[in-house]
Amino acid sequence: MALTGLEIFKQLPKTNCKDCGHPTCLAFAMALASGKTSLDKCPHISEEAKETLGAASAPPIALVKVGTGDSVVELGDETELFRHDKRFYHPTAIAVLVEDTENIADRVAEINDLNFDRVGLHYEIDMVALQCVSGNVDTFKAAAEQVAANTNKAMVLICEDVAVMEAAATAVADRKPLLYAATNDNYEAMTALAQKLECPLAVKGNGLDNLAELVDKITKLGYKELVLDSGNRETSQVLADLTQIRRLAVRKRFRTFGYPAMTFTSKDDPHEEVVQASVYVAKYAGLVVVKASKKEEILPLLTWRQNLYTDPQKPIQVEAKAVAIGDVTPDSPVYITTNFSLTYYIVEGEVESSKIPAYIVPVNTDGISVLTAWAAGKLTGEAIAKALEENDMESKVNHKTLVLPGYVAVLSGSTEEATGWKVLVGPREAAGITKFARENFA
Amino acid sequence: MAFSAMKEKYSSQVHTVVLGATKEEGGTRDYTITVGGEGALPFLHFEGEVPHRPVVALEVWDVVPEWHESLAPYFGDVYNDPAAWAKKCVMEYNADLVVLRLKGADPDVADASPEDCAKVVKDVLAAVGCPLIVLGCGNPEKDSKVLPAVAEATSGEKLLIGVADQENYKSITAACIVHNHNIIAGSPIDINICKQLNILITEMNLPADRIVIDPTTAALGYGLEYGYSIMERARIGALQGDKMLAMPIICNVGHEVWRSKEANASSEDYPAWGDQANRSILWEATTAAALLQAGANILIMRHPKALALVKQNIEELMVPTSFDD
Amino acid sequence: MDKVTVLFTPDNVAVQVEPGTSLLQAAGLAGISLVSSCGGDGTCGRCLVKVEDGHVRVAETGNLSKKAKQSGLVLACQSFVESNVVIGIPSMSRLTEHQVLLDENQLMEEDIGTDEGFFFRPLCRVVELTLSPPTLAENVADWERLQTALRNVIDCSDIRISLPVLRRLPELLRTDDWRVTVIVAQMNDCAEVVDIAAGHVQKELNLYGLAIDIGTTTVAINLIDLKSGLPVGQKGSYNRQASFGDDVISRIIHASEASGGLPELQSAVISTINDLVAELLQLSNIDAHDVRMVTVAGNTTMTHLFLGLSPKYIRLEPYIPLAASTPAVRASELGLNINPAAYVVCFPSVASYVGGDIVAGTLVTNLAQEERIILLIDIGTNGEMVLGNKDWLVTAACSAGPAFEGGGITFGMRAMKGAIDKIKVDPATFDVQVSTVGRCKAQGICGSGLINCLATLRAVGIIDRTGKLQTDLSTPRLRQGDDGWEFVLVYGNDTAHGRDIVITEHDIKNLMRAKAAVYAGIRSMLQAVQLTEDMIDCVLIAGGFGNCLNIRDAITIGLLPDLPTEKYRFIGNSSLKGARLALISQQAWQEAQLLGSKMTYLELSAGNEFMDEFMSALFLPHTDMTRFPSVTNLK
Ligand code: SF4
Repeated sequence: MALTGLEIFKQLPKTNCKDCGHPTCLAFAMALASGKTSLDKCPHISEEAKETLGAASAPPIALVKVGTGDSVVELGDETELFRHDKRFYHPTAIAVLVEDTENIADRVAEINDLNFDRVGLHYEIDMVALQCVSGNVDTFKAAAEQVAANTNKAMVLICEDVAVMEAAATAVADRKPLLYAATNDNYEAMTALAQKLECPLAVKGNGLDNLAELVDKITKLGYKELVLDSGNRETSQVLADLTQIRRLAVRKRFRTFGYPAMTFTSKDDPHEEVVQASVYVAKYAGLVVVKASKKEEILPLLTWRQNLYTDPQKPIQVEAKAVAIGDVTPDSPVYITTNFSLTYYIVEGEVESSKIPAYIVPVNTDGISVLTAWAAGKLTGEAIAKALEENDMESKVNHKTLVLPGYVAVLSGSTEEATGWKVLVGPREAAGITKFARENFA
Repeated sequence: MAFSAMKEKYSSQVHTVVLGATKEEGGTRDYTITVGGEGALPFLHFEGEVPHRPVVALEVWDVVPEWHESLAPYFGDVYNDPAAWAKKCVMEYNADLVVLRLKGADPDVADASPEDCAKVVKDVLAAVGCPLIVLGCGNPEKDSKVLPAVAEATSGEKLLIGVADQENYKSITAACIVHNHNIIAGSPIDINICKQLNILITEMNLPADRIVIDPTTAALGYGLEYGYSIMERARIGALQGDKMLAMPIICNVGHEVWRSKEANASSEDYPAWGDQANRSILWEATTAAALLQAGANILIMRHPKALALVKQNIEELMVPTSFDD
Repeated sequence: MDKVTVLFTPDNVAVQVEPGTSLLQAAGLAGISLVSSCGGDGTCGRCLVKVEDGHVRVAETGNLSKKAKQSGLVLACQSFVESNVVIGIPSMSRLTEHQVLLDENQLMEEDIGTDEGFFFRPLCRVVELTLSPPTLAENVADWERLQTALRNVIDCSDIRISLPVLRRLPELLRTDDWRVTVIVAQMNDCAEVVDIAAGHVQKELNLYGLAIDIGTTTVAINLIDLKSGLPVGQKGSYNRQASFGDDVISRIIHASEASGGLPELQSAVISTINDLVAELLQLSNIDAHDVRMVTVAGNTTMTHLFLGLSPKYIRLEPYIPLAASTPAVRASELGLNINPAAYVVCFPSVASYVGGDIVAGTLVTNLAQEERIILLIDIGTNGEMVLGNKDWLVTAACSAGPAFEGGGITFGMRAMKGAIDKIKVDPATFDVQVSTVGRCKAQGICGSGLINCLATLRAVGIIDRTGKLQTDLSTPRLRQGDDGWEFVLVYGNDTAHGRDIVITEHDIKNLMRAKAAVYAGIRSMLQAVQLTEDMIDCVLIAGGFGNCLNIRDAITIGLLPDLPTEKYRFIGNSSLKGARLALISQQAWQEAQLLGSKMTYLELSAGNEFMDEFMSALFLPHTDMTRFPSVTNLK
């Protein structure tokens, strides 16, 4: 179990010497409890405390890296069960499956092309998973080499025959592929291979109980760069397995399951596959291997992953871009607000229901509300001037009057000065907008 | 055992809400649908009961909708006949139930009178035997006239009527109490307002097991995660004993998804995003699948193929799982 | 049974009452308002009166201190008249406007800790010395000779002197055969001889100090006799900076953006203080020259402005003050009209929004010595709070806004004469009865009145749990005003100014936000240290507003956690008390310096936990009603 700030604090020197960069020992303890600092930052901690705290503050799930250079994929190192508790850190990696008997170059080119731009973000497939269906050492090796030659993406090599795996893995070992998988039958040799090549190793169990046994055996052999697969493939069972692995690691600090988890989709229909994979992205998979490889299939999946892994602690912001509500004309009024999404949407809703077309200009205040932004000096005459200018409002409307939120009526003077626009002080609460608009603009 | 499964002990479960009433129960439905009741996080059968699977509904409008052309092959022939449309949703596309959106009531659309709206609802009820969800036009003033009229005209049917928000909940709640319907309590992606509205409504004496909540969910790529997290929090709250968060959740998936660029942008204009028809279906299905993982109980879909995918997903997720102790 | 007579002194007002009437009621009949924040429950221990002649039946002594009991004090609400009596009313038990600013009476002497732990040793004191005269063999210079003598008396090796005093030294030493009286200022590890007189004249010498609390809204001053440690007088008034804005943010903006803004604000507060000091000195006939030490406690911005330091970056992310601890300065450097060489020291701040006033409050309440977990809250504009015990202390500011001080409320005012402090609403007719401070015509509503209003309006259903006026109720008191919907509390013919006193929906929103901020602050702080509300052993309420607050009302609206009311205590203006304590105890002053660095500041604006808590507190009493069982069980 994770320790609370106060529990950690009890073990610290309590001298408030500030050597750790925190103003007090308690501040350090709270930062440590929330994973924002590390134990070694306090030079005065006793050996005894180091031991107890060290165990408790170690990350519950190991970070495992697959691939090299810019294409390295980081799996694991998660600390939460629910994103709202803090956040998820390392987005589920998506690997597209290629069989060693296919035309590798074509398939890899297709996968390389799975990259997307939307709302200013770039998404792409992380990995290529190469599966040995030939059973042939040379075919698999050649295919691995070809994948490596055709993409920088991280690789998963799928083959349970150690001899076949060895040839391919050795050939592309410098790319640090994930070796899939150590099983009940091959784990000793497969672990030795992974150890030798210093490649991460997937462990495939036959259900969670067997997986746990296997992991313990492998870690006893001294290897800890692991990725866990329960071996199950039915949607609800995989969901249960992934949930157990994450829960036990995070809540119980169960070391055996303290590694990223992976799974495969089992559906043949690509649409069904995408839906199935979305379940695993939502619930704790570090890596999902899919067969679907069309753009329209992969884009929704990557978008879902991007959504889920955003930082919920950041205030929800809207783009600081002027929005036209209704059929605006050059005579339409201009409302100023902030880019805090809650504030913005309330204003938007009220402007909409006033039935008087208008522009809303959200000023970039780093997503904080009107009053707070004013207090923190983020909503100022200059900031408003900048927003008007960036949105080229002067050419959008033929007047120079803006509506300032009533709460910051004090900004009227500085706003008129900075913008050259006339300020009309609006209502304090958005709820007053309809009445205000009808009185002023109808 | 090399590991022992961790099963949360929850003190409570999600309320169950019964949609529709049969003849014996004072309505005219062929069957009723029960939602909610789960005593575990979504589909974690190993630690609690999931007695009722989530259900999927298809949308029917009272006016011809200006929907994307790729939906026309499925509904184009019935766009101007809500009753036939509803029938098609159930018979042909296997929707568990139908959502009738009274868009025509909007003063800016057709400004249909409360009586006209009530009539459409009755027509649809006559055409299908499934329970019915009725949504207003979204104009709070008009809805607070239309929805009570609908409630009265369909007294005893146990419709699911919405959406009531903080502004207009009183008239809709009162109508639901008198005429024995269920209510949808809507809140703007805010768990506190969600809960506050539930308190206000139950304090008017509508029992908690007649409320379904709409926490407002965005489409995939448009802030889906905010609603997702709010739903997760609400479910955890419900399981931990918070009765005022324990209502089944309804999500307006189709409506949100089909406002997104990804559902609508043509394959020609956005070749890098792939085929529009498939993309839109998956956009809708993926949004729904994500929301199921957060605890959705009723999903309002638009595309029949997306509905089929989601139904399939629900079926797979309803397969029981267990871990030995 | 015959009526009996109760004579109140020093008012000399007599009333006839039935035997069995409580002294609190009798006082009310006599037109004397007593302080009673618990409303006569015997729990607040504030309606103290003295039985000067005759007997009363005492039902309860409440939490009266031993000292108080010995001196014949009883709780007026728990004492019942049986025969003719004479009752003395100490000024501290009277509800007057003074109370707003100075409520010395809140704490019994033992509470402020001078007799537990802190030694009486003022920051400036008088010492009589007899030096051994120099000889040819023992020819140490005069100043060094004085230092040696002084070192034996005061525990300090670094002793300094100013040039003008030094110049006078040789003659003074020799005037009365090497017997002198010196005035020494001593802070931290350094002492300074600030004046010397010939002979042993401690008795004739006067030495005074000022303890000052600079609040955003008000300034309060204690004039202390530093020879005895006893207060000579106290005064308070509005901070003249108020004309530049109600809250610290407006002041910071004025200081950093208006040209000449900073000196303007500095001189506003200095002139506020000078005027108060002049009055105090005149009243007690004390020479300004004899005031030689000043301790100042104020929030971070106030301390900056007092010293003329720019507060600009306090407001801007990441909210950094110019200085947490500030150097001692001379009165002349600030323009204070006291002895120009007097030292002025300010309490250290913890962070931008947790200042020296909170450090002073923490000091005086002995919070950092407690085993128990204590929560100290100042329900003012900044809403500062401290949580902890002897092992740890966390602090935060929740920026509640000025609503509880009457700011931003249509008819808001401070708890002065004419302020509505309680209302009663008939649940059937919605007729309203109000009680006012001083029992005169209503002028406005004070903070505790506003809180009571919120609780009462909710109880009778005039507002719903979100604070919305239920406009469908049929009463003419609910109407559309200039600012939207409003509810009439008192019609114009019953008010002091002839206007209707109303509470608007907007006012209610402001109050909701203020109460939500305070409660959210408490929750966030508890969460940061992973404690729950019930683990708090005691809640201390500080601030000018705090003392008139009805705890039940505050819990009912969800402003304060639902803890047994016995856990709550009012400590009045703890900032001023802390300043006074430090003035008369070097040890306390030193402790204050330590406290400043011991407190862990939590920035509530980081992360969205506070926001989340805030949103859920925007409901009556709270979205999570299980947190207020005593309120919800009433239903
Ligand atoms: S370095 Fe260690 S002892 Fe010093 S303040 Fe930080 S935690 Fe405390």
